[in-house]
Amino acid sequence: MSKSEFDRRDFLKVMGVSGVAATVAGCDMPSYITSEEGAEEVIPYLSPEEYVIPGVGVWYASTCLQCPAGCGIRGRVREGRVLKLEGNPTMSLNSGKLCQMGQSALQSHYNPDRLTTPLMRKDGALAEATWEDALALMEEKTGPSSGISGHRFAWYTGSVSGHQNVLLKAHLEAMGSSNHFVHEVINTRVWQAVCKEMLGQSMPTLRIDKAGLVLSFGADFLGTWMSPIQFSAQYAAFRSGDERGMLIQAEPSMSLTGANADLWVAVRPGTEGIMALGLANVLIHKERMDASVLPPETQELIARYNVSITSRITGIAGDRLIRIARHLKNRSPSLVLAGGPAAGHTTGFEAVQAAMMLNILLGNVGETIEANADFAFPQLAALGGGTTDLNRFAHAAGSGQLDALFFDGSNPLFGAPDHMNLNEKFDAIPFKVAFSTFMDETTARADVVLPIASAIEDWGTHVAAYQNEQHEIAFQQPLMEPIHPLTRSFGDLLLALNAMRSPGTYDEIDDYYGYLQSALGAIPGVLKGEDAAEDDPLDIQLWNQILQDGRLEVPAETSLFTTSVSIKDITSPPTDEAFPYYLVPTPRSSLYDGRHANLPWLQEAPDQISKVVWTSWAEIHPVTASKLGLEEGDLIRITSASGVLEVPVYIFKGIHTDVVCVPMGQGHTEYGRYAKGRGVNPLKILDPGEDTRTGELALYGTRVGLAAAGRAGRMVKMGNTESQHGRKIVATITAEQQRRNEGES
Amino acid sequence: MEAEAETCHPRPRRSLALSLWTAMMVVALILGNALLAKPSLADEIMTPRKQVPSAFSGWLDEDVGPFPGVVAPEGTYEGKDVEQPIEFPHDLHTATNKINCLYCHTYARRSAVAGIPPTSKCMGCHSIIATDRPRIKQLTEYWDKGQSPPWKKVHDLPDYVRFTHERHLKKFLFDNPDMTVERVDEVCALCHGDVTKMTVAKKQKPLTMGFCTRCHQANGGTFDCQKCHK
Ligand code: SF4
Repeated sequence: MSKSEFDRRDFLKVMGVSGVAATVAGCDMPSYITSEEGAEEVIPYLSPEEYVIPGVGVWYASTCLQCPAGCGIRGRVREGRVLKLEGNPTMSLNSGKLCQMGQSALQSHYNPDRLTTPLMRKDGALAEATWEDALALMEEKTGPSSGISGHRFAWYTGSVSGHQNVLLKAHLEAMGSSNHFVHEVINTRVWQAVCKEMLGQSMPTLRIDKAGLVLSFGADFLGTWMSPIQFSAQYAAFRSGDERGMLIQAEPSMSLTGANADLWVAVRPGTEGIMALGLANVLIHKERMDASVLPPETQELIARYNVSITSRITGIAGDRLIRIARHLKNRSPSLVLAGGPAAGHTTGFEAVQAAMMLNILLGNVGETIEANADFAFPQLAALGGGTTDLNRFAHAAGSGQLDALFFDGSNPLFGAPDHMNLNEKFDAIPFKVAFSTFMDETTARADVVLPIASAIEDWGTHVAAYQNEQHEIAFQQPLMEPIHPLTRSFGDLLLALNAMRSPGTYDEIDDYYGYLQSALGAIPGVLKGEDAAEDDPLDIQLWNQILQDGRLEVPAETSLFTTSVSIKDITSPPTDEAFPYYLVPTPRSSLYDGRHANLPWLQEAPDQISKVVWTSWAEIHPVTASKLGLEEGDLIRITSASGVLEVPVYIFKGIHTDVVCVPMGQGHTEYGRYAKGRGVNPLKILDPGEDTRTGELALYGTRVGLAAAGRAGRMVKMGNTESQHGRKIVATITAEQQRRNEGES
Repeated sequence: MEAEAETCHPRPRRSLALSLWTAMMVVALILGNALLAKPSLADEIMTPRKQVPSAFSGWLDEDVGPFPGVVAPEGTYEGKDVEQPIEFPHDLHTATNKINCLYCHTYARRSAVAGIPPTSKCMGCHSIIATDRPRIKQLTEYWDKGQSPPWKKVHDLPDYVRFTHERHLKKFLFDNPDMTVERVDEVCALCHGDVTKMTVAKKQKPLTMGFCTRCHQANGGTFDCQKCHK
């Protein structure tokens, strides 16, 4: 309980001196606890705002920036501090729900490892500096008189949208460059490219809730794929309808979605597309489905993948393929999704194409895959990242094409495989500026580090890449004043940079808040009436309403699908004597791509599959374990052509026998006290290789050799047994019974 | 729940309340004043109490407490003199000038915490009243520096206790037809002692679990653990 009230500013000043631990604990200053009289101070507000009542929380809407899905949040603010986040019920994207990564945004904000002052490199090391000096150096190196121009300047960011994107673009234009690298390890670029080619639009609306059956090739739509919160809500409806929807997940190692499936199928990595072709073969040749929607070449290709050939390549029993095909036909409309491991090969595009072909064959397009619209304001639409940009950047940096780089919201040096030699290439760029909240691997090698406000302290507008039929702009507003007085809003800095390059353009505007207001005011009918003149004042009530809702609805005019099917054959990965296994570096809805490794709540949250906390582990099948002579917790040595990892093993059956899965997220060499020096980063030992059509890195195409390291590792796991010891905590049936339910004799 | 119990079983409730009250007084007499004056925390928690039947919840019809509709909680406490940055005279404000407690501790009726008044509230009067007095000069110095005085906390409860002023004021004052808001100091006095006779506030009630539960027992308060320990 709290009996103290602080003036918000005074409070923040005190916090700046005394550290954040007390704030995290939610207790009064000082941070020791006593009820002794006269021992603690209780400092009242100097002059409180009308609506502030100590002890009573007020909820404000904002946007979650913990992953690119862009869900709406509401934060409970009390005595000037944000205490709890929940989903914003008015956002159609996540309708009031929030995942554990979203909940943990608080720890990102209150994190004791936040960057608090600007830093500049002096004599090889980063040292504290003033904003004036940092900005002066930036002006010297990238200002109008610096001589830098054109493509020798670049921005490197994570997925970005809304007005931040507008200002980034304006800055690039002013610099005369079009070099904007947008990096996101976990992305849906291959899916989007396939949708664009086969349906004519890259982000159709998915309706899991309307499907009788969902067949997902590796798309972890309940965990990390595209818009997991929205899909979880759809999934709940899908499972609780009159006829319970059936979920079949085919993937090399079990994801959170896979763990929820009625039927989980272990598929050999890189053969998911062939499985889709084989299913089409059964549907056409055994189930007599009309194939006339497919062009003759595609039908010919499908004809080549009969059950026995498909079964041999994918490792899935023929009768199982037949049963899945039958379910697909009988539970129409179905929905076939593909992503993650299915898309992460050199043939990823073709695999996702094959999955989409199934949707067309099964008549799902128009039923469970609905046409969507382009975002009405293209300048605000999401610029979704990918790994193609990492590759492009490595090439540009390595060939000396860049003189100056600004980066924000991305950590390429953590995400880049060792074979790219990105550290050296990065160091070779003469001037690098980090806009960061934490000292991550990339920030640590910058020449200037600018401490920016946390997502909870800043303004912004965001447009999620995946929008359902109801398009919206999500609003980010500060839920509290900055904890650290020397941090700056990213939007304010973008304005300052633009003013530096194009003096006079933003003279009328005080700050990013003012910029957002005037930018929205310029859209007819948003902050003024439809017929208002340009200099009519803004309707501040409308502005307040938008902030209260945390969103602005945007009209969406649906365009029609233009279906075209022209799929290519898929070469399955060859056998490799030296490296007989496949490395599967899956993301989890906790540490994600590693950006959340500095949040203790997420480190502490048991992994959804293995229940391991605070470290890395490798998942292998019991058959593989016994072949290698490994028991749970023993160290396994994973060797690829590009590097070696040693990590404790977790043995379970939800994985293909030829696969080792090491979740991504750990293995930081920087990134604060909770992340640094913990576990291993599987991305480091990936082999070169990219999807031939999109250029996305083949994240799941690395071949490895496995061996016992001969030592026990250290792995903390919740619930140290896989058995219920007869207690029936969760109702189970035998595999045999399940097979009978499935229709097997 | 409480309202229901009152309409269904008014008489048994009252008689049980009175007998419990009598029993408590007897126990108090036997144990003697000294024990009640300086109870240890363990004693307080261990003070025997019966499970309160559901019918026993609601208001007493007679004036058996310090003011209508309440049985005063048992227990006193000899608090320390706490040195405050400015020696604030509660008596001068409440007794002499008849300022209502809720005028300054304005959050008490709306929040879990009563709140120390914002410094702007002090200055609302003292930018014109008594500006020549030394204590007001001290206050004005803080105000001019843009600071609030670093008051010392006198009444506090452990962090595992959730006490709400709002709920208690509602019960004893706003929902009590026999009380008026002018007499709020009598309600505050239940837990804070008679502030109208103090200068700097001093703890006069033990504010222990025993103190709370005795009052809850006598006045039909909750015995649901998680209401206070959530
Ligand atoms: S899915 Fe992404 S945006 Fe949505 S709550 Fe989780 S972390 Fe935030």
